[in-house]
Amino acid sequence: MSEGQPFKLFTKPKLESSSLVVAWNQDVGKVGAGVVDYLNRKLEGREFAEISPEGFFSLGGVSVEEDIAQFPESKFYWCQENSLVIFKSDIPQYEWYRFLGLVLDIAEKYCKVKEIYIVGGMVSAAAHTMPRILLSVVNSTDMKRVLSHHELVSDMDYETQDGQRPTFSSFLLWAAKRRNIAGASLWVTLPFYLLAADLQACKKLAEFFNAHLELSIDLSDIDEEVARQNKEIAQVRSKYPDLDGYISKLEGNLSLTVDESQKLVREMEEWLRKRR
Amino acid sequence: MGVKLYKEPKLNNPIMVACWPGIGNIGVIAVDILRRVMAAEELGEIEPWDFFYPRRVLIRGGELKELEFPSNKFYFKKTGKNDVLFFIGEEQPSDGARAYAEGTKAYEMANLVIDVALKFGCHRVYTSGAAVAPIHHTARSRVWVVPNMGALIDEVKSYENTVLMSDIEDRNGQGNITGLNGLLLGVARKRGLEAICVMGEVPIYIHGFPIPYPKGSKSVLEVLSTALGIEVSLDEIDALVEQSENEIDSVYEKLPSDIKEQLDKLKYVTYAKPSEPEPITEEDKRKILQEIDRLFKREPGGD
Repeated sequence: MSEGQPFKLFTKPKLESSSLVVAWNQDVGKVGAGVVDYLNRKLEGREFAEISPEGFFSLGGVSVEEDIAQFPESKFYWCQENSLVIFKSDIPQYEWYRFLGLVLDIAEKYCKVKEIYIVGGMVSAAAHTMPRILLSVVNSTDMKRVLSHHELVSDMDYETQDGQRPTFSSFLLWAAKRRNIAGASLWVTLPFYLLAADLQACKKLAEFFNAHLELSIDLSDIDEEVARQNKEIAQVRSKYPDLDGYISKLEGNLSLTVDESQKLVREMEEWLRKRR
Repeated sequence: MGVKLYKEPKLNNPIMVACWPGIGNIGVIAVDILRRVMAAEELGEIEPWDFFYPRRVLIRGGELKELEFPSNKFYFKKTGKNDVLFFIGEEQPSDGARAYAEGTKAYEMANLVIDVALKFGCHRVYTSGAAVAPIHHTARSRVWVVPNMGALIDEVKSYENTVLMSDIEDRNGQGNITGLNGLLLGVARKRGLEAICVMGEVPIYIHGFPIPYPKGSKSVLEVLSTALGIEVSLDEIDALVEQSENEIDSVYEKLPSDIKEQLDKLKYVTYAKPSEPEPITEEDKRKILQEIDRLFKREPGGD
C-alpha cells in the first residue's frame, strides 16, 4: 500500500524493459477488454498496481450493467517472462490528463515501459464471415516502421467532426508522445450485429500480439471458440431465413435498410443472450 | 500545470482585460474586438490539457499529428500610457455537466490569470459577461458594473450607460456573477488587486438561446474603451448588431400577436422603476419563453 498516493502498489515488478497494452472497459464490443483478459489468462498476468478512483470518477453511486453493479477499476498486471504490462481501466470522468500522467508514471517508473499499444474495436458494416481488419494510428514514425511488417491498415486520414470529440486512446497516444514513448492505437473491425461478443475480433488482436511481441501463446482455444461461434451462427441462419437473407446481402457487399439492420442486431443479441 | 509565456515585455502600468464565454458571448465578442482593433500581440497561454478534454484530433497517413484543446491566451499592447494585457479563454473548465466553471479547476485557472497580471505589474483587472434583464431587443443594452472594492464605486458610477446592482429594482445591491468572469473578481480581491466586472444586458427572452447578442457586447465595448482611455472604431460591432437585430426581428415578427404584445411592453420598462403599461407577469413570462423556444427550434439556420 502506498500511503498518500493516488494509486496502490502491491508489488514492484522486476522488468528491465517492457511493452504496455492498454484497454478501456467502455470500448465498442468490449473487444479491447476481452483481448487483455485473454492475454492475462494465458500469460498468467499478476496484478501489481491500481489507480484509486477518487478524483477521477463521480462515485455518486454505482451503475448496473447486465444486472450487476459496476464500480470503476483501473488495474495494472505484469507478465514477467514476456516483459509485458497490461492496464485495463474504465475511462475517467474528470482529470483526464492527470489520470494519463499517472498511468505513464507507473508504467515508466515501475515497469520501464518503452512502447504502448492501446486496443479497441471499430464498428463495421461487413458480414461476420469477412476477415477482420486491423487499423493502426501511431504517435511516431519510428513506431510506424516497427509495425510495418504486419498486415495493418496504417495510412488512415481522420479529423474530428463537429459534435464529436477525440477518443481517450488518442489522448493517451498524445500524452505518451510528449514523453517520447512510442505508441500505437490498434482498432479491429467488428460486425455491427456482433458487438456483444465477436470472438474473431479478439482473435485478430491476440494473433497480432502473439506475433509482434513473440508471446508464444497457443491460440487453439480461441480458434475453437471462433469455429464454434461460426457454426452456431450458421445454424441460426438456417433456422431463420430472413436473418440469413440480411447476412447474405452483407456478404454480397449490399447494404441493409435501417429496419433490416435493426432486426438483425435485435435477433442476434437475443440469440447471444440465450447462448450465455 | 502552468503558464507558457512566449515573451516578457516590459509593460507600463498595465491593466488586464480578461474574459471567458458566457450568455450571448457578450464579453468575448467585445474583448476580442478590442484586442483586434488594438492589434495586441500574443504573449502566452495557459497550458490547456490540465483543464480540458481535447476537442479535435488530426491523423494523417496513420500518424497522430495534432491534438487540439480550447485555447486560453494572453495578449499585450503597449499604448504609451496604460499598457493593456488581454486574457481570452475559449471555454470555461468544467466537469462536462455544467456550462460554467466552478470548484478547484476554476479556482486554479483564475489564479493563473492573476499570476500573470501580477507578474507584469497590473494594478487593475476588468472582466466581462452578460446581465439578463427585462429589456426589449430594440433597446440599448445598459452595462451592469460590479467592482470588488468599495473604493471603486464612485469611479464605476461615472461610466456612461452603467448601473450598479443597487440601481436595479428588488436587488438591494445583491446578485451573483456565475463562472470565471465572476470568480476572477473574488480571486483578484483575495490577492489585493482591483477588479471590475462589466456586464452587457441581454433581453430575458433571448438569453436562453445559443446565439450571440452583439448589442450587449457593443455597450460593454463602449464602457471598456472609456475605462481604458482608448478610442475604438465601432464599425465592426455595429455591423454585427445590425445583422443580429435583423435576425431577431424576423423571428419576432412570426410570434403570435398576443405574445408580441406582451413583449412589446418591455419597450417601456425601465426596470429600476416600472411604469405604464403594466409589467409582464410571471405567467406571461412563462408563456412568452415557451413561444420563443418553439419558434427558435422551428427556425432553420441562425447561430
